[in-house]
Amino acid sequence: MVAYLLRRLFMVLFVGVGITFVTFFIAQVIPIDPAVAALGENAREEQIQEFRKRYGLDQPLLVQYSIYLQRLLQLDLGRSLRTGRPVAEDLKEFFPATLELALSAFLVAVLLGLPAGVWAALRQNRPPDLLVRLMALLLGSTPVFFLAILLLDLLHRRLGVLPGPGRLDPYLIPPPPVTGLVTVDALLARNFAAFQDALAHLFLPAFVLGSASAALLARMVRAAMLEVLSQDYVRTAWAKGLSERQVVFRHALKNAALPVLTLLGGLMGGLLSGAVLTETIFSWPGLGRYVTQSATSLDFPAVMGVTLLVGVIYSLLNLAVDLLYALLDPRIRYA
Amino acid sequence: MKRWVVWLLAFLGLAVAQDRAQVLVYGGDWTDLITLDPQVVYEFSGVMIADNLYETLVRFEGNDLSTLRPGLAESWKVERGTTDWILTFKLRKGSRFSTGREVTAKDVVYSFERALALKGPGSFLFTEIAQLKPGATKALDPYTVEVRIPKAASPQSFLSILTFTLGGIVDSEEAQKNAKGNDYGKDFLTNNSAGSGPYRLVRWDRGNQVILEANPYARIKPKVQRVVLRYIQEPAVLRTALESGEIDIAEGLTPEALRAIAANPRFKVVRAETLRLQYLAMNMKPGSPFANPKVREAVRWAVNQDELVQGLLQGNGVKMQTFIPKGLLGYNPTTPYKYDPARARKLLAEAGYPQGLDFELLASTGICGGGVPCPDVAAKVQADMAKAGLRARIRTIANAELLATYRAQNHQMVLAGWSPDFPDPDGNATPWSDFNARSLAWRNSYNDEVAAKLARQAALEAEPEKRKALYRILTEKVLREGPYVVLYQPAQPIGLSAKVEGFLKNPMMSVPLWQVSKQP
Repeated sequence: MVAYLLRRLFMVLFVGVGITFVTFFIAQVIPIDPAVAALGENAREEQIQEFRKRYGLDQPLLVQYSIYLQRLLQLDLGRSLRTGRPVAEDLKEFFPATLELALSAFLVAVLLGLPAGVWAALRQNRPPDLLVRLMALLLGSTPVFFLAILLLDLLHRRLGVLPGPGRLDPYLIPPPPVTGLVTVDALLARNFAAFQDALAHLFLPAFVLGSASAALLARMVRAAMLEVLSQDYVRTAWAKGLSERQVVFRHALKNAALPVLTLLGGLMGGLLSGAVLTETIFSWPGLGRYVTQSATSLDFPAVMGVTLLVGVIYSLLNLAVDLLYALLDPRIRYA
Repeated sequence: MKRWVVWLLAFLGLAVAQDRAQVLVYGGDWTDLITLDPQVVYEFSGVMIADNLYETLVRFEGNDLSTLRPGLAESWKVERGTTDWILTFKLRKGSRFSTGREVTAKDVVYSFERALALKGPGSFLFTEIAQLKPGATKALDPYTVEVRIPKAASPQSFLSILTFTLGGIVDSEEAQKNAKGNDYGKDFLTNNSAGSGPYRLVRWDRGNQVILEANPYARIKPKVQRVVLRYIQEPAVLRTALESGEIDIAEGLTPEALRAIAANPRFKVVRAETLRLQYLAMNMKPGSPFANPKVREAVRWAVNQDELVQGLLQGNGVKMQTFIPKGLLGYNPTTPYKYDPARARKLLAEAGYPQGLDFELLASTGICGGGVPCPDVAAKVQADMAKAGLRARIRTIANAELLATYRAQNHQMVLAGWSPDFPDPDGNATPWSDFNARSLAWRNSYNDEVAAKLARQAALEAEPEKRKALYRILTEKVLREGPYVVLYQPAQPIGLSAKVEGFLKNPMMSVPLWQVSKQP
């Protein structure tokens, strides 16, 4: 088991290097000079030369890439061409916002999607099932930006029941940043007004972002449950006279969990890699906006940093999903 | 309920309301913000904020960019030395940094040397335009500073440059205390402030907000204690936030949102003047059809600027034909060219193109001055020119690619924008008319020794009336012979809550936040 784990973690390393290689060379295909992109319309020739020299852009490609790898071994992601700061510093600042939003959205997805899927499967082709399927279709196919602007206009501007964009009311004094998660920081500072307000600010973006995942999840859970519910052992369980709860939770759900788990791993990975549209509309300072900004200004150290981070997150989530498989299904053993 | 409870509640309510009037919330897209260090910052939002954190020796007030006023220096004089210009500044006594220390001559020397050492993107204003050298700034006594610049540089331009954040005075002790190695405290001042401006920086959560608070030691006391700049990128959300009262000032609204807001008594719209120019440039390199002056003249008669400004821009800009924008000394309001496609066609025929001319027009995919998408401006120009036989094929590309193509002189005609680097006519005159400055004139192969000489002469002229006359000659010359067709000078509309008073964004994009007040 330990050997397996080590082997897998070693693979993560490989994936990481592979990602940097691909990103690095894609960045070179783009016919625009990052120095010109960074310095703007009035930049002088000497400034451009100086910039290229400072960031090593005047070196041959392979030299640039090997310098990048050498730095990476020392856990140095390089400096952003746009902000001039170490990429790691930027990530440290933008990732917590994404983490906070992703965890909340994931919670929304699971809390809405899982019960809805189970319920729909148990009442197949009856009104609850139809309702869940309709909702899943609606939420799953509504563009995020449309839903977000609609809800913001309705619940914030017209009804005033929910706060506007951002992470905290501008009139509140924000808690000192410790973790970067405003809710947690507010609790650490024992600032309960700020905590409440941060939660309220989190609600709408988490719902908008989570609802699309919830729709996907509900459909998946429903399909997996339907398959399991038609199995002999479930029929036996019913025949034994077990209660619905026991049949569903002990026998059916556990067996339906494997495909659902795979989906959940992918969903979490997707959420953690940042949601550009949701973040833009709710003025949420997350990874999605950071990487869009970096990409449009050809800031490839930053883009590579984000891609690497997201790649590692995906690999680790995959590993976690695989380990959970073994936990759920005693037939699966890793050695 | 007992009466005192009612009173208490009323009092609390009032207290909260007053508290809200002491916080100004300014929403906009601040994503270009990467540093607040005065000697490094060169981005629009960074300059706008740093301008409220640091004071300069001299400054401009309001929209007037031709009259210098005292800042940290209460008086100054310019003398002609044998080899140098000698500028002497008398500092006022008792100005204090947000750290509580007094502003003295050594801080000025430190700040100027700091600008030269850090080589930020704006440092060429000191090194190239003013030709300021390390060691040329001296403290004669704690309240007197002497700066020497070479005779070839223009003291007028230098004084204008000093109003810019590059000339912002930092607390030398605070910066040195937080310096890492040889960085003059650059890392520290990226997201901390140590200035004598009306505000100090409390917090900058990247991508989220910047919070400023009144500097308790400042000479200029702001009307609002706290300013929160919220990052809001999405125009629809910006409008929602303004209408719900979440923000007081909204920058970046769409023309439709602005129309709706202007019609609502709870809001108002302010049009900020800019020094930006939107223009067409024609590459005059040998072999290009635009090397022929008649072709260039034909283009000048073939653009309907009135329709462009009134229709597409909806008044968010003024028609311009000369290259010194309104607001700077030397602005030339003449607009001799009207839309006359028949005349343009005739000129084209005389130039040897009786069948008309085909060429490529490059335009950015982004937003042009006045908030209009550049492809729309290009399409309008294309339609106007087509009636004169000037058939443009529009190619829209990312702005960075457009700049790269333009710089490499690989364009035929390009739709571009320009803002001067410092509020002085020379900020436009040299790049637009001096081929050797390797800027716009060079990019368009406009090599005219007379124009270049005029620009140099005007830059060094100390007498304002003579200077104006020189710029008049130069702007008319470039208007008739140069490679440019200036289209308009855009204005930037900003939406405000009706409770906000005293808001101004000057043409150099600086916003004196300390003058803004807010009713409860």
